[in-house]
Amino acid sequence: MKIDKKLLILWIASLTLFSGVGVSTLLLPDLLRGVHGLAIRFFLGYCGIIVVAQVCAFIKDNRHLWEDSSGEKKSSITLSILLVTLLIIFSSSAPVMALESGDCQGCHSDAAMVGAAFVVNQAAFDTTAHAEIGCPACHESVGPGHPDDGLAPSKVGCQDCHSDVSHEYAGSGHYGYADCNDCHNPHQVRGATAVSGHDMNQQCRLCHDSSKVVSGHTDWLPQAELHLVKLPCVSCHTAAKDNVITLYIVKRQSGAKISGLEPASYQELQALAKGKPIETLIDGNEDNYISLAELRLFNLNRKSNLSLQGMMTPETVTHDFSLLANRRDCSFCHASGPEARQTSFISLVQQDGSYRRIAVEKGAVLDALYGTPDFYMVGSTRSKALDYIGAMIIAGGLVVPIGHGTLRILTRKNRKEDRRSDHE
Amino acid sequence: MSDTSRIYLQPTPIRIWHWLNAFGIVTLGLTGIQIRFPEYINLFSGYKTAILLHNVAGVVVAASFALWFFYYSFVARNMLKVYVPNKDEVKSGLLRQAKFYLLTYFLGRPNPHHPTPENKFNPMQKSAYLAIMFLLMPLIGLSGILLINIEPMRDLVLMIGGLKILMAIHYILACCLCAFLFTHVYLATLGRTAFAYIKPMWTGWEEEESDDHQHLDHLAPRPN
Ligand code: HEC
Ligand code: HEC
Ligand code: HEC
Ligand code: HEC
Ligand code: HEC
Ligand code: HEC
Ligand code: HEC
Repeated sequence: MKIDKKLLILWIASLTLFSGVGVSTLLLPDLLRGVHGLAIRFFLGYCGIIVVAQVCAFIKDNRHLWEDSSGEKKSSITLSILLVTLLIIFSSSAPVMALESGDCQGCHSDAAMVGAAFVVNQAAFDTTAHAEIGCPACHESVGPGHPDDGLAPSKVGCQDCHSDVSHEYAGSGHYGYADCNDCHNPHQVRGATAVSGHDMNQQCRLCHDSSKVVSGHTDWLPQAELHLVKLPCVSCHTAAKDNVITLYIVKRQSGAKISGLEPASYQELQALAKGKPIETLIDGNEDNYISLAELRLFNLNRKSNLSLQGMMTPETVTHDFSLLANRRDCSFCHASGPEARQTSFISLVQQDGSYRRIAVEKGAVLDALYGTPDFYMVGSTRSKALDYIGAMIIAGGLVVPIGHGTLRILTRKNRKEDRRSDHE
Repeated sequence: MSDTSRIYLQPTPIRIWHWLNAFGIVTLGLTGIQIRFPEYINLFSGYKTAILLHNVAGVVVAASFALWFFYYSFVARNMLKVYVPNKDEVKSGLLRQAKFYLLTYFLGRPNPHHPTPENKFNPMQKSAYLAIMFLLMPLIGLSGILLINIEPMRDLVLMIGGLKILMAIHYILACCLCAFLFTHVYLATLGRTAFAYIKPMWTGWEEEESDDHQHLDHLAPRPN
């Protein structure tokens, strides 16, 4: 008689499965570092113990099988296979510690006159804070002879007017890497809340390649890709503060069933609003306030291909670019509890490319299902209603142990007597 | 307990599956509580610890579910027999078993069901485990797999209705499993002694009293 081959194959398959889990934890080098590393190692260790104990029990129960046949040779082979697989498990969970914008515009809005490189987008410039100061304020040297005078127009430095920011930035570790104009187009400047989170990150992407940034964060940040899509870089790399939830309208690109959720452009939204202001797409009564009911109505309308994408964005930004150690602490964002996540806005793209925010009813982010169906931050946006439903389900599960257990104690005499009579 | 015979009820892969599951699910439950209620509960030092441990335990339980599935579908090949209640069991077995739990147990009568390797579960267990193993576990596992790969699997997440909906599903299913767990552990202590049903799950062997053998005969493996 032989030891069941199928069973042996199964063990080896299962052992490799679990050692595979151990090894895959190594793919995230940070996984086994520090306190959580210890906890995970303990967990995997105990899993290993369960497997080993069960395998030992199996060997014990079946010892006769191979002792009967060809003696010790077989058992030593089986044992050595087991030992090797166990070694793989333990070595994968053992201390691999190394692991953690008129005069000027007559010409400069026309590409045919100045050439594409010198066009200043008028629509965008006219609504910026810089439109007030006008072109000559920054290009002082441009005289009546321009452009045929052969003089190179001057371009002012930002520090003349933004000394505070310049000073702050000069003190940051990023000063040497990028100039104000590398991140800002001086003809399209916007305040922090008039830029979408997506556009804000676009500024960084000019130099910081997305995939490199993702891989640079994965070693300590689970789901780094998700975090980098749902957070502006500046909320972790500057002292930017007062985070709120901002919802943007995104559109499934026409025809594409799979993927391709992109911020909907103003023209697309205008077409959908059918001549009314685009705000009516979501703020039906045009009171410049979005109630939970309006939000739900928008979210439940699946015909339009539009949906809302949430981001956590700062109300104020700073320029002290650095690597902030406390942003490694997940509880900075996740463990704040629902109280901290009551404020949210819908941010709508405008004709000039800036964004306008409309306040949303307080607490909408915490609505169980249809407030913000595609935004959820673990630990901080949970719904109270669901908490209660869950608690009731669990309480239901306690009915049996408590109810039956009570009766069981009260009637224990019956069973004793019965058993005694059985034995007599 | 005069005369006892032993039957080999739980083969090794099933015992490994069961205890990995038990340990894994308890870990998932505890870390899960901290992940949802971090302001109140801090069992595993940091929030990240809880999340990573929850992920690892989730993967272990999913792997162990795979082991269970492969064992029953390719090695034992009796999954349907073990887990799907037959007509008799639905018609009368369920009632008989319910009667036992609700009445005759208190009077001190023996359990009408006698486990054999082919017929391990009583009709109530069968129906409960059928729902748990073929509905709850796969759903909670799949939602978990989506939740640890949100960005790469965004389209699937959106098909379900969004991240929040997915989280709600995962959470409610977890509460159901937790409720089941209380009942499961409690009923496991209803044997002759508190550990009479728990021991075979660890050792594989169930001790049967010999004077029950007549019941055994008529409940024993049916020809297929
Ligand atoms: C008659 C049309 C015309 C008007 C009006 C005009 N520009 Fe220009 N501007 C040009 C052309 C053409 C060039 C490109 C010159 C070149 O090829 O070097 C130019 C180039 C520039 C440059 C870029 C120079 C460089 O090499 O980077 C600046 C800055 C500029 N103009 C500012 C202004 C400002 C400010 C005003 C308004 C006070 C103004 N221009 C009015 C036609 C005009
Ligand atoms: C806040 C200051 C400021 C104002 C206001 C301003 N510019 Fe500029 N402009 C600059 C700076 C700084 C640069 C250099 C940008 C760079 O080097 O990337 C520049 C560059 C340019 C250029 C060169 C092409 C380019 O985009 O780099 C043109 C043309 C130009 N400005 C035209 C204008 C016109 C026309 C206006 C008014 C509608 C205007 N500017 C208003 C600061 C300003
Ligand atoms: C001649 C003065 C002047 C210069 C030079 C200047 N700015 Fe400004 N800027 C202003 C004023 C005035 C405002 C509006 C008030 C404020 O926010 O300080 C402003 C606002 C801004 C804003 C915020 C826009 C908003 O809507 O809140 C940004 C961003 C900005 N500037 C960037 C720059 C950059 C980058 C440069 C250098 C290319 C620059 N500025 C040069 C005067 C200037
Ligand atoms: C590394 C990129 C980067 C550099 C360099 C940079 N900024 Fe900014 N700045 C931002 C971002 C991101 C914002 C957020 C709003 C936006 O995107 O326009 C911002 C916002 C601002 C604002 C608006 C602040 C507010 O509260 O509304 C001003 C003013 C400003 N920057 C000025 C400057 C000046 C002056 C410099 C050069 C000394 C500079 N920035 C350099 C990235 C940069
Ligand atoms: C003009 C190019 C440029 C732009 C735009 C830019 N950076 Fe950088 N940044 C660099 C370079 C170059 C480095 C140094 C090399 C590196 O670490 O990648 C750097 C480094 C950094 C670092 C690491 C600093 C350190 O102390 O090690 C951070 C964080 C950073 N950038 C954030 C940002 C953010 C956030 C933005 C957008 C708001 C941004 N950068 C936009 C060029 C840029
Ligand atoms: C959740 C917060 C968070 C977000 C969002 C974030 N970072 Fe970071 N980033 C960090 C932390 C913390 C570090 C420092 C890690 C360390 O200590 O090694 C870091 C490190 C860096 C570094 C230097 C290390 C390296 O990878 O070479 C760069 C560059 C950087 N981040 C760029 C970015 C850019 C660009 C974005 C936006 C696309 C971004 N970060 C978004 C938290 C964040
Ligand atoms: C700067 C704020 C911030 C920090 C710091 C941060 N997160 Fe997140 N986290 C977010 C946001 C925003 C989301 C995306 C929510 C969404 O997609 O709906 C998110 C999503 C997640 C998710 C996916 C589940 C979910 O809630 O959507 C996990 C898991 C997660 N974070 C874990 C962590 C861990 C672990 C850390 C610490 C290493 C951490 N986060 C640090 C802001 C943060």
